[in-house]
Amino acid sequence: MRLLVDLLAQGVKMFLVLLAAPLLTGWTRKVRARLLRRQGPDLLQPYRDLWRLLRKEPVLAENASWLFRTAPYLVFTTIWIAAALVPTYATGLLFGWATDLIALVAFLGFARFALALAGMDIGTAFGGIGSSRETMIASLAEPAMLLVVFTVALLAGSTQLSAIAEFLLHEPVGLRVSLALALLALLMVAIAENARIPVDNPTTHLELTMVHEAMVLEYSGRHLALIEAASALKLTAYLSLVACIFFPFGMIPSGSSAFLYPLGILAWIAKMAMLGAALAGFEKAIAKMRVFRVPEFLGGALVLSFLGTLLLFVSRVL
Amino acid sequence: MIPAAGALLALAAALAAACFVRFYGIAFLGRPRSPEAAAAHEVDPVSRAGLLVPAVLCLLLGVFPAPVIDLLGPVVTALGLESSLPEQGVAGWLSLQPLPERRASYDGLVLFSFLVLAGGFTAILVHRLGGAGLRRGPVWDCGYPDPAPSTQYTAASMSQPIRRVMGPLLLAAEERVTMPAPLDPRPARLEVRLVDRVLEGIYRPLVGIVLAAADRLNPIQFQTIRRYLVLVFLVLVSLLVLTAAGR
Repeated sequence: MRLLVDLLAQGVKMFLVLLAAPLLTGWTRKVRARLLRRQGPDLLQPYRDLWRLLRKEPVLAENASWLFRTAPYLVFTTIWIAAALVPTYATGLLFGWATDLIALVAFLGFARFALALAGMDIGTAFGGIGSSRETMIASLAEPAMLLVVFTVALLAGSTQLSAIAEFLLHEPVGLRVSLALALLALLMVAIAENARIPVDNPTTHLELTMVHEAMVLEYSGRHLALIEAASALKLTAYLSLVACIFFPFGMIPSGSSAFLYPLGILAWIAKMAMLGAALAGFEKAIAKMRVFRVPEFLGGALVLSFLGTLLLFVSRVL
Repeated sequence: MIPAAGALLALAAALAAACFVRFYGIAFLGRPRSPEAAAAHEVDPVSRAGLLVPAVLCLLLGVFPAPVIDLLGPVVTALGLESSLPEQGVAGWLSLQPLPERRASYDGLVLFSFLVLAGGFTAILVHRLGGAGLRRGPVWDCGYPDPAPSTQYTAASMSQPIRRVMGPLLLAAEERVTMPAPLDPRPARLEVRLVDRVLEGIYRPLVGIVLAAADRLNPIQFQTIRRYLVLVFLVLVSLLVLTAAGR
């Protein structure tokens, strides 16, 4: 019985992130539009977009190889699994132990690798721009992300996300400088990885400033739908990660009654709404930077995360 | 030390990924860049198997890492380092347990089956909902496709962003653009100069010292036989003195 409930909770979680991801995108778009005193699209518009793309017949370039056709499925699946493995509303889910934060970073890295290769497949200049810039951003964002992981792992004594969340939920951790630095670094990495405004513009129509959009320029139909869904899932995964590590309030600890799960889901939705609104506000307040200023931004994230780890080594209370 | 090493490892992994995106993307993807490449044909299955076998082994290594880590354990111990990973053993054959008191934190098989299940589910669902139709058409390229293959990214342009970011620090990279004035028929040129700092900073000076010392000692080779014998005798005496002093 217990196993059945656990299995059900895990399945619910997988489909919950899948269903909630477009809503989060719609929510950030809506808040951003309202902050600009525009009406903005409907909250459910991303679902309609995905449905429309899914029903459309994809047009493939004449020289597209098998890699171009399989990459959307690979990208979507790996990001979906990554998003499903971040604890959202409860800590001790059935397969939570099967992976840790480092494996999660690897999953997201694999998705980026597949997409960068797909960008080069057709042999257009824009695909090359996108792939080369994406690999440049990744080469700085990944070390920063791993240093954040190390900071949190040093504190909690585990790289497993459930264990970290439970530790931060129950132990008197208090306010720590190292955690604040790690939070800042993780937010910067999340903005860069999700192609949000100071680094990349998700709604841009100017090819020379595109990074992520330039890579997926040749995609259409169901392939594009999968890639759009994957970016929505990636945003959900990163925001869930921030919420799970730094704001673990309202998460249902392992071993509690299954009737508490709806409460945890509500808390998660509230946290996602707040983080999404904060992201929209931040995007509204800042202008997009030149591509070659991005390394400075990500270098900042790297230094902050390194300082966080260093502080934990120097002193146990900071 | 461990976090810094880990960050460097992540940097190395990201740079390796960038390197292989470039390598695979330039060598195997895109439009043919030369008439010879356009006429290329697929090799026989045996040659392809030579690439396929290591690829499958890589996948197996990721799905079942524990036996390999157990195999590597004695090597780490022989190097005089403390093997920080506990013996994974038969129970942990499928999963990796960095800290034995906790449950596994990486289970390749579970993750792999998750991936296969979710991927299959996605593929079936997408084809059910959207149909499996597909149309081939000309390249879109934002409306301005140029059929010349030289408009594609090359190895040098692919690595330009990373070279600009890390090059000045690590390789003392220098880019010089020569732009001729209008009406000047000469072509514009982009020159990139890279300096290997380790070679220039450590090996070159060392080699210089050795060569200079060899030049100084060269005259010793052109002596009379008496002087040679005196030299050999002096070396022998000084070696004996050294051994005696060492006792």
